[in-house]
Amino acid sequence: MKTKRLVAMGIAAVMGLNLLTACGNGSTSSSSGSGEGVTITFWHAMSNAQEQSLTELTDKFNAENGQGITVELVNQGAYKDLESKLTANAAADTLPDMAQAYNNYVTDYVDKIVPLDDFVKNDFDNWEDIVEGYRIENSEYGFISGLPFNKSTYPFFYNKTMFDELGLEPPKTWEDLETCGAVILEKKGIPMLGYDSMCDMLEIFLRQNGAQYVDETGALFNTPEGLEAVEFILGLYEKGYARLIGEDSYFSNLMSAEQIAGYVGSCAGVTYIVTDNEGHEFELGVAPIAQGKYNAAYNAGTNLMMFTKDEAKQKAVWEYMKFLTSAESQVKWSIDTGYVPVRTSAYESDTYQEFMNGDTPGAITARAAYGQAPYGYVPSNYFKGANEIRNKVSDTLTMCISEGRTAQETVDALVQAIDEVVK
Amino acid sequence: MKKKSFKGYIYLAPVLIIMLVFTAYPLVRAFIMSFYEDYNAVNGTYSGINIENYRALFASSDFRTALANTTIYVLFVVPLSVIISLLIANLLNSHIKFQGLFQTLYFLPYVTSVIAIGVVWRWILHSQYGLLNGILNFFGIESIGWLTDRRYSMASLIIFAVWKSLAFNIMIFLAALQGISPDLYSAARVDSTPRWRVFFRITVPAMGPIIAYAFIMGIINAFKVYNEVYALFNGAAGPNGYNSAITIVFYIYDQFYNNKKYGIAAAGSVVLFLLIMVFTMIQKLPAKIRARKEAAQK
Repeated sequence: MKTKRLVAMGIAAVMGLNLLTACGNGSTSSSSGSGEGVTITFWHAMSNAQEQSLTELTDKFNAENGQGITVELVNQGAYKDLESKLTANAAADTLPDMAQAYNNYVTDYVDKIVPLDDFVKNDFDNWEDIVEGYRIENSEYGFISGLPFNKSTYPFFYNKTMFDELGLEPPKTWEDLETCGAVILEKKGIPMLGYDSMCDMLEIFLRQNGAQYVDETGALFNTPEGLEAVEFILGLYEKGYARLIGEDSYFSNLMSAEQIAGYVGSCAGVTYIVTDNEGHEFELGVAPIAQGKYNAAYNAGTNLMMFTKDEAKQKAVWEYMKFLTSAESQVKWSIDTGYVPVRTSAYESDTYQEFMNGDTPGAITARAAYGQAPYGYVPSNYFKGANEIRNKVSDTLTMCISEGRTAQETVDALVQAIDEVVK
Repeated sequence: MKKKSFKGYIYLAPVLIIMLVFTAYPLVRAFIMSFYEDYNAVNGTYSGINIENYRALFASSDFRTALANTTIYVLFVVPLSVIISLLIANLLNSHIKFQGLFQTLYFLPYVTSVIAIGVVWRWILHSQYGLLNGILNFFGIESIGWLTDRRYSMASLIIFAVWKSLAFNIMIFLAALQGISPDLYSAARVDSTPRWRVFFRITVPAMGPIIAYAFIMGIINAFKVYNEVYALFNGAAGPNGYNSAITIVFYIYDQFYNNKKYGIAAAGSVVLFLLIMVFTMIQKLPAKIRARKEAAQK
């Protein structure tokens, strides 16, 4: 008897859950096509300071746009969650009016993106003012697929107190990486370097050595330059100058606990470094990353894409997109969050220049980001399988490093992993 | 008679409709999808109808690892969890002090988010400053790389999962224990039966159906394990790029959302469905045999 009741209760609970998830998906509202009183939904993956700043900007837009446009922000969790939800809703044809997205999110539904070419041509303040790398990235599908919004770069975060004590400068070249790494390992017994993203690290080193990474035909780095770059990377780990993240979640945590002297990661992550833990007080330094024979620095961050088919909503979305990417909004956004401005005019504005001259962690990071901006590249990931390649490369490279494989073995394993995806 | 059953269907209709839409329809869709080659779930295109997905599935070393891991997981987690929770439930039922407090404590894991629990367990299992290695070191045992050495990934996962699944089992066992007639225990006391004998001869048989229920639910849930892996390895399926703790559902999710191989993901879920079905049928066999025997005796 009791069993039966329990089973019944269990079934009821499961049903309840189903209903909840079912309701959660129907978030896009339908509104009439009239210009007045248009409500648009914007799916994003911003949290903490980023979400707060986005909300402030949006509140301002809602209050001041004068066209009756209301933007509804919907936080979809982390990037991965946002990506999954976009995929699922693309399949159900219930995409939001607009969303943040990387190009590799949408490879399976490029046809659902609203091309922005006409909007840009007829009603946009200076496309040329947008940083060139982002213009290229947003044109990879053969049309303008989005506007850049929250862009970051990976600078080198380091423990300035420790570097000063040892008389070290942040590494500027590959040789510096080795000499600094050796000193820190010898004097402090900890590694100097970590990389938040293994596949991006590989691409950075390849480019800095004049090698290419990958395109839709497969791996391109099975060359002498590629091998040399991989050999250098493996050496850093083997000698103990760099370490893998392993079972610790984030390098910012290790940095805060002074278990690593520095790391390369997103400039938007600066808020997660704690410099005043008891017994672990230090001054934070941020510098452009070390460069090789060639200069290269990684740029990340999503773009704004439009999905709505309703013409009135498209106009409303465009107004909002213009607002978010305007120089004024970008200055506020960048100062609040640590992202870098997407417009040259925003970079050059008095407010941003003044901010960069300050000595807050955000300002130091912004200076480093600005310092490596000229070498910035956006990896192309518009082709099918780009996402899988990222995961496979990160996994395989980590595996090879942890096993101490040789450079040639590592290159072979990476090439095989990539070609398996592309074939 | 007929009218009566018609009325019954009306009462059932809401649940039936929900089940048709959210269970039966996806089941059929997934089955069909699993035969589409290069299926694009977003715009519905595919290049052919064949068994290519199944071939790719069984050719994948990750999927074979997932099959093996899931089987190991089911074989260890379910019996361990049932046995341990049976013992704890029995202790909780023996009128100890702070009974209510303990009941709440044991039930906490059930209502806490797996991800939050995962954070705590990642610390417990940390190779350098983890609690578990601290205890091992105290007894002179060397530290183990629970979350860094791929040979221990499954062991860590099983420890974590057993602890996590105790809560639900303890709760239903406690409910069942309180339903056993006290007369039986009084009679045993009169005969001064040893405690272990009371446990095996009265408690366990009286709880037969609920234990069977715990097994069936446990096995079904264990086959679907995903969150535990995700939480323990911080979103990956094992340490240092190895998929040493990958499970079937993890594989399916990865193929669907990360690699966008919808057809292979569908094929994986069909295999999982068949596995669970076979296991559930095997489990129901003893009950059926017993029922047949009883019928024959009458």
